[in-house]
Amino acid sequence: MPKQKKYIFSSITDILIWILLIVFAIMVLVPLVFMFTASFMPANDIMTIPFPWIPKTFYIENYKQAFRGNDGSYIFLRNILNSFIVAALTTIGTIFLCSITGYGLAKFEYKGRNFILIMILSTMMIPFEAIMVPLYLTITNLGWQDTYAALIIPFLMSAFGVFLMRQFLITFPDELLDAARIDGASEIGIFFKVVLPNSIPPLATLAVLTFRYQWDSLLWPLLVIQTPKKKTIPLYIVHFAEEKFTNEGALMAAAAIASIPMIILFLMLTKYFIGGSNVYTGGKE
Amino acid sequence: MLACVVRGVIFIKKKTGIDFIKKKTGIEKKKARWGFIFTIPAIIFFSIFSFYPIINAFITSFYKKDLLSLSKPQFIGLGNYKYLIHSESFWNSVKATTIFTVGTFIPLVIMSLILAVFISSRKRFQKFFQMAYYSPALLSSVVAATIWLLMFDPRGLANQFLNFILNTPGKDYKWLTNPSILRLATILVYFWKYIGYFTVIFITGIASIPQTINEAARIDGANRWQVFTRITLPLIKPTTLLVSIMAMTRCLKTFSTQYLFTQSGAPLKPIDVITLNIYNTAIRDHQIGRASAMSIILFVIILALTMIQFKVSKAEEVQY
Repeated sequence: MPKQKKYIFSSITDILIWILLIVFAIMVLVPLVFMFTASFMPANDIMTIPFPWIPKTFYIENYKQAFRGNDGSYIFLRNILNSFIVAALTTIGTIFLCSITGYGLAKFEYKGRNFILIMILSTMMIPFEAIMVPLYLTITNLGWQDTYAALIIPFLMSAFGVFLMRQFLITFPDELLDAARIDGASEIGIFFKVVLPNSIPPLATLAVLTFRYQWDSLLWPLLVIQTPKKKTIPLYIVHFAEEKFTNEGALMAAAAIASIPMIILFLMLTKYFIGGSNVYTGGKE
Repeated sequence: MLACVVRGVIFIKKKTGIDFIKKKTGIEKKKARWGFIFTIPAIIFFSIFSFYPIINAFITSFYKKDLLSLSKPQFIGLGNYKYLIHSESFWNSVKATTIFTVGTFIPLVIMSLILAVFISSRKRFQKFFQMAYYSPALLSSVVAATIWLLMFDPRGLANQFLNFILNTPGKDYKWLTNPSILRLATILVYFWKYIGYFTVIFITGIASIPQTINEAARIDGANRWQVFTRITLPLIKPTTLLVSIMAMTRCLKTFSTQYLFTQSGAPLKPIDVITLNIYNTAIRDHQIGRASAMSIILFVIILALTMIQFKVSKAEEVQY
């Protein structure tokens, strides 16, 4: 008899857990659903009480206005392109530079190697927010104020990326490298033909982390970019939200446009997104 | 006898990695040189973009320096730090940052732990829940803040929801104007954005606990609560500590939500977090010296937290 009781008790908690998980999932998803439905509604519908969850008509005008901008300049298209270019170049640079450094630190022995490693790792303790003002001055001195170089070059490497690649490459089989050496491959050739093709999983994780960081970045572009043409998506949205003529629907349309590439990337590379949050992030992240 | 010596040498060589017998040949020297060449870009990069700025921040924090003026910066010793100690705006930022950090990271760690334990206990839909909770982390912080900005509108969903739950029809909770509620609003945005991120980390931590331990406990008659408090909780303690510090450092660096909210007309004072203050001091007030002093203070705090994080990750290996 008590066994039966225990069983009932356990199934009640089971049901409670299901309910809690589902209710919480709904609460987490509501703002996302709100963004997408509101982006298809005229402003008047969005601010009605209660909120009509299903758009009456597919009001595409919001998307047109988001792209067109309040001044009809279609600058958003350019800003989207900028975000892609900046994020892509930074990601490619990070992958290449972090892996070659990681390789140099993992597979070669020379004087001062450990010192270099420790110095690089110690920069993980410097938060970007603490060095942004002097970095801004450095950029100004270099004459990179208001250029793409300012957005890309200071982020071409991350200490965390070097750490990730070094940890991975330290277990890389030496036999493969030596075999290539015996075949007469140059050291640079070995890196490109043997090391890089065999390091896809950590490289993908690093790529996803870097791309997302750049896609998200607001503070630094806010400091260094002034020309509307050179802005990235977050800067455009901040500006768009401030403008008086922006209606709520168009704002949500812009937000949805900014989110869609990341959602597609997530669905394609879920494992690297979720795996990536497990490599404990540090440094500029 | 000889074989013994050779075996001994090989053993020591394996243990220490030191070469006794072979001298470095030409090829190996060449190889070593390549290793160094591969790290040159990193040495240059981190010198320019990490070490130089932090040293520069440290030096600038002792000077009175204006962003736009061309005159030579004036050395004022600890003047900037003294100014900050007596500055109301600085202490307000410390308060705003502390309230935000404590108010965000504690609920974040507790809730993500609970959700992770619940999701891990499910046999089905684990992946679905992980993805659903994780989805806000995909949005950029600006987008997240924009969505919530509309939801916190007097006619928006936040009021509608509270009015429904608390049965207070038509009441406006003044999300973006009342100082305390505004603080809560920024906390909510952050909580929403990162809850799934940390849940996923906890789920991995829980998944690494061997099933056999749980099963053994269940056979011994332990109930779920006992399994949780006596087995799961102690074994994921390192993950919990790590997540706490990660969440804390992230909260200390928060910027986007507060920036967007104040730009859209919310009062600055309650949510003038330290990064926002640094930004405004440098860009709006042109006080580079003061901004640098604040940066150094932020650096020291985060450095202390990161040190703890490294210590914890070293002790991370749990013996099952």
